[in-house]
Amino acid sequence: MLPVRQAFLIAYMTGVLWLRRNPMSLVFTAISPFSLLFVLFIISNGQYVDFAVAGSLVMALVGYGLALGQDISFYKTEYKVQDVFVASPVSPLTYMMGLALSELLFGLPALIVLASLVVLSGASIFSIPLLAATILLIWGSMSAMGFFLSSHMLHMRNATQVISFVNVILAILPPVFYSIDRMPDILRPLAYAMPTTHASLILQYVMNDKTPEEWSLVFGFGVLIAYLIGFVALAKTKAIWRES
Amino acid sequence: MLAIEAAGVSKIYKGARQAALSDVSLQIEEGKILTLLGRNGAGKTTFVRICATQLMPSAGSINVLGYDVVRHAKQIRDLISVVPQEGRPLRALTSWDHIYNWLQIRGEGKQTAKAKTEDILRKLELYEARDRPAMNLSGGMKQKILVAMAMATDAQLLFLDEPTIGLDPVSRRQVWSAIKDWKAKGGSILLTTHYMDEAEMLSDYIVIIDRGAVISHGTIQELRRVIPQNIRIDIARDGLDIDALKPYGSVVDTGAGMLRVFTFESAVREVSELALRKNLAFTVSPVTLDDVFVYLVGGSIGENQNGRD
Repeated sequence: MLPVRQAFLIAYMTGVLWLRRNPMSLVFTAISPFSLLFVLFIISNGQYVDFAVAGSLVMALVGYGLALGQDISFYKTEYKVQDVFVASPVSPLTYMMGLALSELLFGLPALIVLASLVVLSGASIFSIPLLAATILLIWGSMSAMGFFLSSHMLHMRNATQVISFVNVILAILPPVFYSIDRMPDILRPLAYAMPTTHASLILQYVMNDKTPEEWSLVFGFGVLIAYLIGFVALAKTKAIWRES
Repeated sequence: MLAIEAAGVSKIYKGARQAALSDVSLQIEEGKILTLLGRNGAGKTTFVRICATQLMPSAGSINVLGYDVVRHAKQIRDLISVVPQEGRPLRALTSWDHIYNWLQIRGEGKQTAKAKTEDILRKLELYEARDRPAMNLSGGMKQKILVAMAMATDAQLLFLDEPTIGLDPVSRRQVWSAIKDWKAKGGSILLTTHYMDEAEMLSDYIVIIDRGAVISHGTIQELRRVIPQNIRIDIARDGLDIDALKPYGSVVDTGAGMLRVFTFESAVREVSELALRKNLAFTVSPVTLDDVFVYLVGGSIGENQNGRD
């Protein structure tokens, strides 16, 4: 039980206590995921609202994972907090989990609104567990990836640059905000290799939108689970906790 | 049992031309305080970080509280606590938040954590400011939060990497007092500091490191005997020929336009007269640990440093 308690205490320190004294942080974090939703809604006269909702939810989750990476880099290089945790009974995965929960807390208002929009866009009550599972899988894998990447960053500036790049690779280029039908056939395998593509497709499925014939829910979840296992394994075995 | 037993420890950072540590061997008995002294970049922090399982050694072996640092890091981490060099508390959190929650993260129950937090905050005179976020505290108070976090734990071995840097003289003494209390309860400490008075006040044993290698070690009394003379005379260098002082004892260039002569009482009068004839400022005092340090590492002043500390 101790690792779970440790993770919640880390989340409490870096999330709850921070928000209690800086409540405006919640507002700033809550607004940003709606920027592309707003733009797509306006330019398509509401036609692409389902893509925009799915895309915004996926992008928000990618953002929380990557923000975790930024936080970890900051705590490591600026505050030396990680040095204190390394030389303590806290494991790297517990530390990661605590900070990931903290990021989730910051993103909770936006997540609740976006998830509600998914439900209101035609989801049945039975598909809510699918929605929740998708959110958890993407959040978990992106957090593990953020932790892995940030552990290899020696300077804050590197972390910011790499994280912006990864955000484009995962949330902008793949068919997260648009239909995969718009992609040339030759690029589709590449798109299907991205976890964010499947997350977006699952959300479209949940909203009763048409999904490609070659894609299935099982395939989508299989990829998301594989990514979660892969990134957590990467974070556990290849993230730099004790420096060499 | 030994708190730390290091044998032939070396560290070469990736891409570095020189070793940050070369063949360092030392021991700390349980319940004792060992202080590492050395200039910036000498390798003190590298050694501390290796012992605290934050950094892998390149060669050699280190046992901490009976466990090998490479193979049994997990066991060691249950038994140690650290104050990192240049660490900072989280801006929005108070001293109470830091210590109380940190103790719970380390496995303490709420009641014990509360009692220990209150105790250490009072000891370090942070209690009155316990509800103020760290961003509203002075630099010294922030540093004391990190010290308090480490010292409130049940660890058997503390790693304090320049714990009193930036503290005013009163705060430094509060930290010294807490360190002494810790030791009185049987805890062991590996300390690094640039303050010689701190080292003299707290250390059972001192190891002096220069350019990654141990150049001297011993108790304060033993180290004082490194300098055969018992008096030091500092003289402004201004035009003074260093050879003119050599007949009176050992002469060291302290690098600040001053020469330091280590000598005996019998030569004080002659050296003083020499300085007065040339109208040079001078002071006479007994040899201290500071002198031993300058005597041992003074030759390297002005030379390139070793890279990382």
